[in-house]
Amino acid sequence: MKPFRADLHIHTLLSPCGSLEMSPREIIARAKGRGLDMIAVADHNSTYHCELTVTLGIEAGITVLRAAEVTSAEDVHSLVILPDEASVISFQDWLDLHCTHMPHNPDIFGDQVVIDRDENIIREINYFLPAALNATIDEVEEAAHNHGGLFIPAHIDRPAMGIIGQLGFIPDDLFVDAVEVVGMAGDLLYPVIRNSDAHMPEHIGRRFTDYMLENPSFSELAKALRSEGGRHIIQHGR
Amino acid sequence: MKVTDIVEKIGLKVFSGHEGLGKEVTGGYASDLLSDVMGHAGSGAVWITIQTHRNVMAIASLRDLSAVIITCGENPGDDTMAQSNEEGLPVLGTDLSTFELAGRLYSLIG
Repeated sequence: MKPFRADLHIHTLLSPCGSLEMSPREIIARAKGRGLDMIAVADHNSTYHCELTVTLGIEAGITVLRAAEVTSAEDVHSLVILPDEASVISFQDWLDLHCTHMPHNPDIFGDQVVIDRDENIIREINYFLPAALNATIDEVEEAAHNHGGLFIPAHIDRPAMGIIGQLGFIPDDLFVDAVEVVGMAGDLLYPVIRNSDAHMPEHIGRRFTDYMLENPSFSELAKALRSEGGRHIIQHGR
Repeated sequence: MKVTDIVEKIGLKVFSGHEGLGKEVTGGYASDLLSDVMGHAGSGAVWITIQTHRNVMAIASLRDLSAVIITCGENPGDDTMAQSNEEGLPVLGTDLSTFELAGRLYSLIG
């Protein structure tokens, strides 16, 4: 076992707030340049760039996990990290089912485009991706776990759009695999991770977490969050 | 003015917590950020929100509020209503928006 460095919250150009430079190819190149061993792409309520980034990651020799940053009905953002391609497909169906199709204005919020490996635009999403789903945080947690995923409330120490800001505290019957913080966490009841929440290339790796793992992979990460078999969170960076 | 007077005068729906309809209302607070309500709502206030999560009840009870009014026709979850019944802290509802309801409430008790 050895330490691996991971940044598990990176937006691609699909997210309206994501810079147009955030193509899967650019993300992989930057992540490698920053010495990251594992990343996760997490666009708002969507997984359309997961497979392309995973493929490019394999070619470049860096682990890419599939994820989405889900907005529940309370306006709480949570990371859902998924184990494989099949779970992504069915989780995307679940997202589509709960989507509120709020109209999108690219002039105000930015473009929401899906690209292929040659960086041609293959699809434009015409509803506002980050809008709250018509699913409560409990339903998001349940869906994440039903798909074999990890449920991680995002940036819980931000004044809004995090679980503490929106809901005051973390309900004790919500099954949380870890929490993501932006600042430095004090004593929390949950495993704590830090990620960049990068929306532009230079933000990739600005915050990260080191994990003790056999190899950088979804299953090893899940074990580390449970402190299982010697795997664990070592430290948070930056 | 009591919670029951507000219910009658504005025509609010009573979802749960009927035991608390006799509570005295001393003011109001409108916010959907629960962390904000936790820090700022005054004791005895009615809280106007579109949030329906069960944490609403924990915070209403922590701040010793007189009632919660859910706007825009939203419905509280079963667990929220169960908690409201247990604590005798009414959860009320209306199709009015937060803005409209706050206006009417303010002219009643402001």
